[in-house]
Amino acid sequence: MRTLIVLGISLLSSVSYVHASDPIKIGMSQPLTGDIAAAGTYVANGARVAVEVVNKSGGVLGRQIQLILEDNKSNPKEAVATAEKLLSGDKVPVILGAWGSTLTLAIMPRLLEYKVPMVVETASSSKVTTSGNPWVFRISPPSAIEAKAFGDTLFTKFTPAIKKADMLVVNNDWGRGASDEFTKLMRSKGVQIGAVETMAPDATDLSAQLAKIKQSGGDTLFVTTGIEQLTLVLKQAQEQRVPQRIVSTGGSSAPDQLIEQAGLAANGSYHIVFFAPWFPEDAAHPEVAKTFIEAWKKKGYAAAGLTDGFRGYDGILTAVQAIKDAGKAEPAAIRDALWNVNVKGANGDIKFEKAGPAGQESGQSIPNIYVVQIKDGKVVKP
Amino acid sequence: MEQLLQHLLNAVVLGGTYALLGIGLTLIFGVMRVANFTHGELYTFGAYMAYALIGPLELNFFVGLAIAVMLGILLGIVIEFMLLRPLQKSDMDTTMLVTIGAWIALQNMELFGWGGVAKSVPHPFPTDPFVIGSVSVAPLRVFVVCVAMVLLVSFYLMINRTTFGIAMRATFQDPEVSSLMGVKINRMFTLTFAIGSGLAASAGALLAPVFVVVPMMGDLVTLKAFAVVILGGLGNIVGATIGGFVLGLAEELGAGYIDSGYRDAMGFILIIAVLLLRPQGLFAPRERTG
Amino acid sequence: MTERGIASILVVLLAVLPLAVNNQYVLFTLTSAGILIIAAMSLNLLLGYAGQLSLGHVAFFGIGAYVSALCSLGFEFYYGAESPLVVPSQPVWLALIWGIVVAGIFGWIIGKLAFRVRGAYFVILTIGFAQVSRMVALNWVSLTNGPMALNNIPPLSGWLPGYGVVPLSGRVENYYLVLAFGILAYWIISRIVHSRVGRALIALRENESLARSVGIKVTRYLVLATVVSAAMAGGAGAIYAHYVRVIDPDVFLFIYTVTMVIMVMTGGKGTLLGPVIGGLIFGIIPELLRHMVRPELQLILYGVAMILIVFFLPQGIVPALAKLGDRVRRKSKIGKTGVLKDSLTT
Repeated sequence: MRTLIVLGISLLSSVSYVHASDPIKIGMSQPLTGDIAAAGTYVANGARVAVEVVNKSGGVLGRQIQLILEDNKSNPKEAVATAEKLLSGDKVPVILGAWGSTLTLAIMPRLLEYKVPMVVETASSSKVTTSGNPWVFRISPPSAIEAKAFGDTLFTKFTPAIKKADMLVVNNDWGRGASDEFTKLMRSKGVQIGAVETMAPDATDLSAQLAKIKQSGGDTLFVTTGIEQLTLVLKQAQEQRVPQRIVSTGGSSAPDQLIEQAGLAANGSYHIVFFAPWFPEDAAHPEVAKTFIEAWKKKGYAAAGLTDGFRGYDGILTAVQAIKDAGKAEPAAIRDALWNVNVKGANGDIKFEKAGPAGQESGQSIPNIYVVQIKDGKVVKP
Repeated sequence: MEQLLQHLLNAVVLGGTYALLGIGLTLIFGVMRVANFTHGELYTFGAYMAYALIGPLELNFFVGLAIAVMLGILLGIVIEFMLLRPLQKSDMDTTMLVTIGAWIALQNMELFGWGGVAKSVPHPFPTDPFVIGSVSVAPLRVFVVCVAMVLLVSFYLMINRTTFGIAMRATFQDPEVSSLMGVKINRMFTLTFAIGSGLAASAGALLAPVFVVVPMMGDLVTLKAFAVVILGGLGNIVGATIGGFVLGLAEELGAGYIDSGYRDAMGFILIIAVLLLRPQGLFAPRERTG
Repeated sequence: MTERGIASILVVLLAVLPLAVNNQYVLFTLTSAGILIIAAMSLNLLLGYAGQLSLGHVAFFGIGAYVSALCSLGFEFYYGAESPLVVPSQPVWLALIWGIVVAGIFGWIIGKLAFRVRGAYFVILTIGFAQVSRMVALNWVSLTNGPMALNNIPPLSGWLPGYGVVPLSGRVENYYLVLAFGILAYWIISRIVHSRVGRALIALRENESLARSVGIKVTRYLVLATVVSAAMAGGAGAIYAHYVRVIDPDVFLFIYTVTMVIMVMTGGKGTLLGPVIGGLIFGIIPELLRHMVRPELQLILYGVAMILIVFFLPQGIVPALAKLGDRVRRKSKIGKTGVLKDSLTT
C-alpha cells in the first residue's frame, strides 16, 4: 500500500501548472534497452540534438522545448506504459515514437483516447497509416513507398541489371513487409525471384540461409534487417562466397559501422539510406543537413549513428513546426497544424498526405531515398 | 548435393560451439544441481572481454582470448561464492531464481557499460575462405572448431584421468557419500562452477570475432545450451557433446530444407520429441523424475 | 486476522482507489499489474501448491490472447482443404471464453505429456513449449498475421441499462473489470486449494512417493491443476489482448514468465495472497523506477531485487509476515497461536 501512495505522490508532483515561461514538453518513446536498444538510442540522440538546436535559436513561441524520453524496452506492453505515462502523467501535447511498427501500433489506441497527435519517426508497416487513426503522422517510408521509390529512381542504376533477385529478411513486420513489397516490385519489372529466406531477429548464425541463397542462381540479394545482423550477413556471405550483389533496404544500415565491423566483407555492397551524411550537399536542404551533422558531432555521438539519428531530428523539427504554426501547445491545434506543415528536414521536405480510410485519414510524408555503395572501405555514390 | 555438403560442414562448426556451451551447463547441473541461467551471460562476458583486450587494448589475439577466458573463470568464482554458496541448502527453484536475477542484472550491466552498439573483434586470420569444390569455410571458423575440439578432449582427459576428475564424478553420483569419502564439497562446487563458466566464456571469446558482440547475445545461448543439455540427458557429459552436434545438424538441415523461420525452434521441437518418445533421454540411463 | 480478512480489506481498498486517485496513469499501471497477477495466481496453483515449476506458463497466456483476439476479429484457417475454414468475427465475450477454453485444452495436452518427467526436465520441457508456441505465432502468418501483429482488437464490452452494449475502453472500467476477474480467480483457487484436489496436490508436493503409495492418482491431479491453471492464464491473456488491443508474438516472451514467477516467489508461493502482494510490488516497482533512474539501471536494480528477495525472504513476504504476526501475538498472549499461520500457509 505504501508503494501505491508513493507512486501516487510522485505522479501528482509530476503534474504541474502551466506557466507561459514553462518549457513546452514533447514526449518520446524509444527502445533504450532490449534488442533494438542501439538503434533506438541513435534516434533518441537525434531528437536530443534537435531540441538543443531549436532551443539555441530561441525555442518556439518564446518558450524552450523539453524532451521527455521514455524507454519502451523494445516491448509492446512497455510501449503502452510509456504512452500512458507521457499522455496522462506528463500531459505532453505531442509525442514521437516508437521505433518499429508493433511498438507504434501498441501506442496508437491511446492516441485516439487521449486525443494527442504522434509523429512516427520509424515504422514500416502499412497498418500504421491504414488503421483509421487520425492522430498519426508518419515521416518514415513504409516498405511499399520505399520499394516504389527504389523502382522509380534506383532500379536502373545497377549494372549489370538485376535479372533474378533473392531476399533475406529478418522475421518481423519490417522484414516481412520489405520482402513482400520488393518481391512485388521485382516481379513488375520482369525480374525473377529466387530464394526468400527469413531469420530470427536474434539469430547469429545465418549459414543455412546463405547456403540456400548461394544455390539459387540469383544476381542480387536484398537484405532487410538491423545493423548487427546485417554485419553478420555480410561477413558470412563472404565466408561462404555467396556470389550475389548485396543490397540492404530499410535505411537502417549505418554503412560507416559496417565498414568498421565487417571490414572487407562490406566492400561492394549497396545500401538504401534515407539520409546520406557523406554527401550533405546532395540533400534537399544542404544547410539543414549540415547543421544537424555539426550539432551531432559536437555532442560527441558516433558518426555511424547519423543515418538513424536524423529521424529523431526530423521528428522534433516536425513537431516544433506544428507547435509554431498552431500558435499554442495544445494537442488538437497541433494536429490541425501538422496537416499543413512544410518542414525543411534533414531528409528533405516533410509534408503530410492523407492515407487510410476516408474521414479518419492518417498523415504520411513521402521521404527521399538514396542508395550508396561501399567501395574500398569508403562510402561512395554508385 | 553441394548444398547438403555445405550444410553438413556448417553443422559441424556450429555443433562444436554448442557442445562447448552444453558441457559447461551440464557439468554445473550434474555436480551442483543448479540450473544455471547465468550461463549465457558468462558467454557474453567472455565475448566483451575478448573485445576489450584485443580491440581497444590491442593485445595479441591469442593472448587476449586466453585472458578473456581467465576473467570468465574469475567471474564464475565470484558468482559461485556470492550467490550460490549461501544457498547450498536451498532447492533448485530458489537457486534458479537467483541465477535468473543475476542474468537480468549482468545483461543490463553490459548494456550500461558498453552501450547497445555492436562491437566487432579484429582477428589475424585471412578473410578469404578455404574453398573445396563448391564448399567453403572461413579460416577463423576452422580455428574456432579446432580450439573447441582441443577444449573438449582435454576436458574429457581431466574428468577421466585426474584425481580431481574422479572426485568430481563421484560428487556427480552422490554428493553425500563423496563428502564422506573426503571430497571437499565447497571446493568442488567452486571449481565446478569455475570450469563451467570458463567453458562458456571461452565459447563467447572464440565466437566474438566470428559474430558481433552485443549485450543481448547471451539470451539465445542460454536457451540453446539448455536444449543441448536436455538432449543429452541432464548431467551427462558425453550426451551433451553429442547433443551439441545433433542440435547443430537439426538447425542447419531444418533451416535448409524445411523453413528457416523455425530454425531456432528446432532444438525445442527435438527436445519435446525426445522426451516424449524416449523419456529417459537420448543418452541418459538416469532416472528422469529426480 | 485471517488471510480472507486481509484479502477483503485489500479488495475494499482497491475498489475505492479510483475514487481517491483519479489518475489515469496510476490506474493503467494497476490494471496491467492486475492482469499479470491473475496469470501469477494461476502459476501459483502449479508452482506453489503442486510444487511444479513451469517456466513456460506464458504460452497459455499467449494462446489465450491469440485465440480471443482471432475470434473477436474473425479469421481464416487453412487446413489443407480447398477452401479455408472461415470464422466470422465473434462477440468479444464469446471470444474471451474461447481463449480460456483453448488454453485449457492446451493445458490438458501439456499436462498429459509433460508430467511424464519431473524437476529440471519438466522445467525445460515447459520452456520448450513456450518457445515453440512463439515460433508458431511468428511463422504461421496466414492465421496469426505473424510478426505483422494483430491490431484493432475490440475492447471488452459491457451492457448498461439505457445505453445498451458499450465498449469498455476507459481506464476506470478496465480497472474494475480486471479487479472483478482477479477476485473471481482468487475465489476459484481458494476453493480448489481447500478441496480434496488441493489437499492431494499439497500431499504430492510434500512427498510424491508417499502420496502415490496412499493411492493418490498423482498424474490425474497434476493434469487437472494444469488445465485450471492454463485456462486461467489463458483468460488473463485474453483480457490483455482486449486491453492493449494489439498483440504480436512477443506476448510469448520469456520475460513475462519470469515476471510471473517473481511475483509468486516474492509474495510467497503456496499462499493465496502471495501472488497478489508480489504482483502489486513487481507491477509497480518498474513504473516507480522509471521516474528515478536511467533505463539500464532500472533493469539492473530489478535483477538485484530478485536476488535480495530470495536471500532475505526465501519463503516470500506473506509467510514472513505471518511468522512476524505470530510472534507478536504470542508476546501479547492474545489470539490463538498458529491460526494465522495455518490459514496462511495452507
